[in-house]
Amino acid sequence: MQEFDKKFVNPVGKSVPRIDGKGLVTGQTKFAYDVQLPGMLVGKMIRSPHPHARIIKIDTTKAEALPGVKAVITAKDTGEIKFGSNEFFFPHLVDQMPLESQKVRYIGDEIGALAAIDEETAEKALKLIDVEYEILPGVFDMLEAMKPGAPQIHENVRNNINVILPVNIGNPDRLIKESDYVREDVFYCQSAAHTCMETHTCIGQYENFSNKITLWISHQAPFKVREAMAKCFKMDLNDVRVIKLATGGGFGGKLEMLPMDFASCVLSKKAGGFPVKIAYTREEEFTCSRRKHNMIYKLKSGVKKDGTLMGMTGEVIADGGAYCSYGPTLLASTIMRIFMTYQIKHLRITGYRVYTNTPISGAIRGFGGVQSGFAVESHMDLLAQGIGMDPAEFRLKNITTPNMVAANKMVISSNGLKECIETSMNASDWKNKRGKQSHLHRGIGMGIAGDVMGSKMYKAHESSGGIVKVEEDCSIYFFTGASDTGQGSNTALSQIVAQELGVSYSRMKCISADTAITPFDTGSFASRVTFIAGNGALLAARDAKEQILKIVAQDLHLDIKDLDIQAEEVIMLSTKKNIMSFEKAVKLCYSFNYGHQILGRGSFNPQTSPVDFRTGEGNVSASYSFESQIAEVEVNTKDGKITVLKLWDSHDVGKAINPSSVESQIEGSLAMGLGYVFSEDLKFENGRCANANFEGYRIPRSVDIPPMETLLIETIDPQGPYGAKGMGEAALLPTAAAIANAVEDAVGIRLKELPFTPDKVLKALKEKYGEDINL
Amino acid sequence: MQITFKLNKKNYSLDLQGHETLLEVIRNLLGLTGTKEACGEGECGACTVFANGKTVLSCLTLACDCDGYDILTIEGLSDGQTLHPIQEAFLEKGAVQCGFCMSGMILAAKNILDQNPLPNLEEIKKGLDGNLCRCAGYPKIFDAIEEAGKKIIKAK
Repeated sequence: MQEFDKKFVNPVGKSVPRIDGKGLVTGQTKFAYDVQLPGMLVGKMIRSPHPHARIIKIDTTKAEALPGVKAVITAKDTGEIKFGSNEFFFPHLVDQMPLESQKVRYIGDEIGALAAIDEETAEKALKLIDVEYEILPGVFDMLEAMKPGAPQIHENVRNNINVILPVNIGNPDRLIKESDYVREDVFYCQSAAHTCMETHTCIGQYENFSNKITLWISHQAPFKVREAMAKCFKMDLNDVRVIKLATGGGFGGKLEMLPMDFASCVLSKKAGGFPVKIAYTREEEFTCSRRKHNMIYKLKSGVKKDGTLMGMTGEVIADGGAYCSYGPTLLASTIMRIFMTYQIKHLRITGYRVYTNTPISGAIRGFGGVQSGFAVESHMDLLAQGIGMDPAEFRLKNITTPNMVAANKMVISSNGLKECIETSMNASDWKNKRGKQSHLHRGIGMGIAGDVMGSKMYKAHESSGGIVKVEEDCSIYFFTGASDTGQGSNTALSQIVAQELGVSYSRMKCISADTAITPFDTGSFASRVTFIAGNGALLAARDAKEQILKIVAQDLHLDIKDLDIQAEEVIMLSTKKNIMSFEKAVKLCYSFNYGHQILGRGSFNPQTSPVDFRTGEGNVSASYSFESQIAEVEVNTKDGKITVLKLWDSHDVGKAINPSSVESQIEGSLAMGLGYVFSEDLKFENGRCANANFEGYRIPRSVDIPPMETLLIETIDPQGPYGAKGMGEAALLPTAAAIANAVEDAVGIRLKELPFTPDKVLKALKEKYGEDINL
Repeated sequence: MQITFKLNKKNYSLDLQGHETLLEVIRNLLGLTGTKEACGEGECGACTVFANGKTVLSCLTLACDCDGYDILTIEGLSDGQTLHPIQEAFLEKGAVQCGFCMSGMILAAKNILDQNPLPNLEEIKKGLDGNLCRCAGYPKIFDAIEEAGKKIIKAK
């Protein structure tokens, strides 16, 4: 038996090291990309070179004849079953086949796959696939796609409009009419890529006789993959085992079953059961996974002179690319967020998600909140400016409060937004800087945001289960369905288990996200894991503790209600006296007399409701997290370059289970936000990605990172495990607006089109000040 | 083509076709998967290894050009008993998220600290310019390198 580490007793709130850290810093951890199995074949997807075309004929004979090629598949092998990620609530919108049989709708669309003995043979075979296409006219711009007469991408979809979400609450027209100041703005948000460091990778194996599939995968939601795989294979859920290995980032990009996952298993079946590995190249990762929805945001609002936000109307148009993916929920997510932060009772915004012949738009960190964050938070500053009010004061007047029900029926319980705003203002010295540094071309700007922790939009339930297994030697396993994709959930969940069980974190090991052995969890998205899986962990630990205490009580003839385990000791609550050590108590459970295995179980399902797509009402999350972000910038009026001098992010995280991890999430999110603001712009020319590499698509590098200060606000949420809330995504939501607002404070120009490149800054300066920019 | 090199203090003699990259040899032939590939084009730094005391991008380096070289990968950084001070510092400072960039990042950190164990922030940033991290946003990596330098000096 190992000695427990005293440092890690009562671990909640401590920055304990990552549970998987040693493997990661020594290179020993095996990612899906690292897996080699006996007889493993290399799989490749057969992709369309055209953005829009009808498939006339696919001839695979030459490829099949190439020595070393073990299997080639097309839609004939996979069937014409359609799958989709929003299938549960929107079955009519399911529009993608594992391999397309009739039409291709973007460059990269999958029509087949092949497996060969090595990379070189597989590449050679790809060139031997003969496909006859009838080229169809494509449409690449969402506004063009909506026009009557535009090429139709999917059958029976009028004007290529995939989803319409009309949010209509109160009477915004009347309220805007009654306002003292009204303005209208249009904002443009570009597309972007996740760029996980590990590309999409899977290894599929099909056992013909036992009818069993195993899929090893780099993923955020293995249970979701299992469900889609079982559907496409017409198998039972437990015929499909999806094992998530160490995953090199996700950010929303690894949240769906992709054709590659299905294809690897069909290829394995056809190749006689040998495992087939498909790993995306970096180019495929940029062009054939998922991308951010580029959006146009039109907002019109009215305010009273005293700063009261009266009503808002608007329109959101989102470029969905070739298929539905998470279209409906993303639209809901981008529009509904305003109700988390502002007490607005009258709002009408209609969202349109439009098909184009471009790669599929889907989930990416913030889930539409980055686009709405830029539009809404820029618009709010402009409204404040219109009535001559400090933008921070304007926000403080209109923000949501603790324990309220928003106009769209969101139920807000803990809410530290006011504290977030005030803390960020104090830390940044807002009052002494705002409007006072324009002589230096410096400015300071603010943005606020709210975020969910879970979403009732994917299944009838969104539960997460946990199992705590206390071994005879007092080492502890925690089994969870939640996927750690690098964010550190295995660590945070283990901290919660150790805290609740009253033991040191050093006893913990975590086994996660294997559909055959861990309990169910919907996946790592919507910042839900710490909150929902955390509650599952807490309940499982509590159950395990009760089992131990029951035996102690029985053995010593004590009242179990008077017993607890705290800091490695069984204690009597009434006398505060230690009765026996945790180790002794466990020994008793496994003793000659009792022989009772300690297996604690927990399941948590938050009480929430999906968004009603006729009205926009619903409470998708059991609680909400909040933040205020302030950016200080300096604008070089000669070359148009914006330098961020510092970012402050004040974040209501409920309770920081692991403060260092929480800070790191915020910092990583801020970096991603900065990338979107300044350089990340996934470009397409006639449907072809023009910058599918790290040279053309610049993500933030070490030299691009400004000083960042994270300020953690702990509101102790009544439903959160130890009060914790989700927080992984929110930090990048207000970054663009905070910077745009700071730029206006610095040099008086208003940037409404992302990314903020020097040429756009120079153009705006020229428009405002003419040729002679001597500010 | 016959080449020999030292890798993580062990001698290897390999028969290569000639076109293999150092990364392919390390990962596929020798089974050391700590060194990662994230772009294959020399733009991300995930495949960073040391060759004759200098960092190189193993995805752009031909293995046959490394004949007689002394190569170090992440697997050879610690003595197998205790973590190297850089690895320790990365854990203590919470610099690791998904970890896929970590092997390259830690070796890039070693390169910085080999030159100057007390680098300032600008030197750290410049030294990491070729190593992409998408998760952690770098600040905790900067802290970890600073801390590792202190540990290295203390150990001497």
